[in-house]
Amino acid sequence: MSARGDVASKKNVRLAARLSLLLLMSALLSGCWDRTEIEDRAIVLGVSIDKAPPEAEKEEDPITHYEAKLGPPTSDLIRVGVQIALPGRIPLGPGESGGSGGNDPQKTVWVIDVVGHSVNDALMNLQQELSARLFFGHLRVIVVSEEMARFGLDNVDDYFHRNPEVRRMAWMMVAKGEALALMKAAPKLERVPSLYLMTTLDQGIRMGKFPQDYIGLFWSRKAKLGQEGFLPYVELKKSQNVETKGLALFRDSRMVGSTSPLDIAVYMALKGNNPGGYSAFVEVKGTEVMTHVTHREEKTTFKIRDGKPFFTFKASFELNLEEKMNDVLSAQDPSMIREIEEAQSKGAKKLIEAFLEKTQELDSDVLGLGEYVRAKSPGYWNKNVRTKERWQRMYKEIDYEVEVNMNIRRVGMKAQ
Amino acid sequence: MKATRDITATQAAAVVVSTIIGVGVLPLPLFTVQAADTGAPLVTLLASVLALVGLLFVTLLGMRFPDHSIIQYSEQIIGKWPARTINACVIVFFALLTSLTAREFGEVVVTSVLKQTPVEVTVIVMLMLAAISARNNITTFSYIHLFYVPLLLVPVLMIITLSLKNAEPLNLQPIWGNQPSGMLQGILTVAALFQGSFVMTIMIPAMRRPAKALAVSFYSILIAGGLYVVIVIAVVGVFGAQETKKLLWPTLELAKATSLPANVLERLDGAFLAVWVTAVFTTLLTSYFLTSVSLKQMLRLEEPRIFTFFLLPFVFVLAMMPANIAKMYEAVARAGQIGLGLTMVYPGLLLLISLLRRKRGKPIER
Repeated sequence: MSARGDVASKKNVRLAARLSLLLLMSALLSGCWDRTEIEDRAIVLGVSIDKAPPEAEKEEDPITHYEAKLGPPTSDLIRVGVQIALPGRIPLGPGESGGSGGNDPQKTVWVIDVVGHSVNDALMNLQQELSARLFFGHLRVIVVSEEMARFGLDNVDDYFHRNPEVRRMAWMMVAKGEALALMKAAPKLERVPSLYLMTTLDQGIRMGKFPQDYIGLFWSRKAKLGQEGFLPYVELKKSQNVETKGLALFRDSRMVGSTSPLDIAVYMALKGNNPGGYSAFVEVKGTEVMTHVTHREEKTTFKIRDGKPFFTFKASFELNLEEKMNDVLSAQDPSMIREIEEAQSKGAKKLIEAFLEKTQELDSDVLGLGEYVRAKSPGYWNKNVRTKERWQRMYKEIDYEVEVNMNIRRVGMKAQ
Repeated sequence: MKATRDITATQAAAVVVSTIIGVGVLPLPLFTVQAADTGAPLVTLLASVLALVGLLFVTLLGMRFPDHSIIQYSEQIIGKWPARTINACVIVFFALLTSLTAREFGEVVVTSVLKQTPVEVTVIVMLMLAAISARNNITTFSYIHLFYVPLLLVPVLMIITLSLKNAEPLNLQPIWGNQPSGMLQGILTVAALFQGSFVMTIMIPAMRRPAKALAVSFYSILIAGGLYVVIVIAVVGVFGAQETKKLLWPTLELAKATSLPANVLERLDGAFLAVWVTAVFTTLLTSYFLTSVSLKQMLRLEEPRIFTFFLLPFVFVLAMMPANIAKMYEAVARAGQIGLGLTMVYPGLLLLISLLRRKRGKPIER
């Protein structure tokens, strides 16, 4: 009896062992549920968004809507272009550039454009004609045409805000002219065009040419009650390079105007952003010199005067003398340096005031002065402002004074 | 059967801390800015104080009856049947809390990382893990927590430190908020995130020195509440109150916007989610353990592990009840409010009655 029991239990153990092996195999060999091979993914590096003319409707097949009853949606058409990385073609190291493609960016990425009524509609249309699943985890650059930005970015913001793959460190920029052209551009410095666009701005931060303005920062600024967002305003130049033309100023999610490139420096000065990266002409005694800003300090204070916020900006700059037109002035003469400093202070003051006036005209408080009022005088804010719309109206009326202090520290390697 | 008393004060504190830090970390800043925009850190701080008061009730009760948990001594204080009725509610509540935690975890995972994995799979895997680990005795249970606490605290603090360089002081002013009308509601919502600290009631009977329980409660709320406050400060400081209102899981978004220096990792949400899975696991483990131990105690059973797998299907079905994420957060909010009554008001009343009726348990013999 006991012997038979032993045999039976041995059999059971064996069966259990086999079964558990099977279980183990099914667990180990089946792989991950959400596994996607890199070849099966369409890695989107850049997206461009333009407004499309109503005629473009013909291009669109009813993919997210029926023509007859359930649509087409009433919203205007947009044209969305995507730049997709071709996995095998992007050289990983510096040595791999030879061979078939060389440095031709057109071979490392694939640019496709589709029309749709919204961002997601367009991307669904695109997905319909693409074998690989669109993947936005590496999205670096979103280019929006000026026309689109002036129409309003609510839908664009909503889509990219909602999509969990999109990173907040991506850049969004406004293009003068067509945005799709920037996707198709082939700058020589980078093998991947989108990365070139991104590097332009990232290097801009490092060289003091542009303040930090990632898409996440733009969203945060735009959401604040006493502040408006801004985006880099760029233009494609003739050798496929990209110029940072200024700031695209927003009110809510609509672009209301743009500034000159030097206004970027003014913005950065008013925010005390470093390093300084801009140079400017200074007129002294009928001749001109050029100075380069190396460091900025800024302090914004405000008080309530006559029932209105009154701001005081105190900015001080460290400068290097970079260039003279002729030998009229001597760079060794301290009084001359003093004069240059004073002339430049006056010029900078004018520039700053012009910039503030411009933003006031457009009701676009990109500096976030309203945030100072909200944070520091909550009583006044709750009584007189409370909402974003009210602040936009009040921003026009605020007064300010600007104090500028320039210090030329160095004059380069020339003794005169 | 005499329970072993070998849990140190550090272990007990670790259990409470890692229980409190859980699934609520992700939406916490959203709850607080909805209550009082820039006053969010203040809301969190006041909520921690409220949670401390609730925990003190439980702890003081536990110290009066150092050999028993609330399930047992409540019968001595207010009589057998009234106590049993409320205790049944407490047990059902913790089963519900377990299931909602698992579901909330599943929703985050299915939205942000494993988009094709059905939410049922994520939830059942997590619940199974909790059920298996809940079969351990209380000593092993507290060792599991002690082991994970540094793994929770260090990476979260690191992410916060790295992100603080992007914070703007203006975003946190005025400190009481521009529109602090929802503050009271916000305090209650956030205090509900501390409900796991109720586990103290089963820790005290196993503590080597129950006299230290007061210090344990104080320090564990200090650590967990302090972490909550710095998380809120970092999120609101970086994004601003208005932007935080637009984010479903602001803390996850913060990790997404934070990068390690020198571009080692450009976004930390992956790393953060890994930590957060551990945090959710420890929370789930506690509420599951608490449910099964309390049920055992209420029914006066000897075998400690009898209910671990028995509970699983019920908890799972409960977890799958809310139809969508909006319904789920509604359920979380409602459960939180009921829970405040069960985990704070109930012990408070018990303490009052036990003081009035001069009931106390036998002091432990050393």
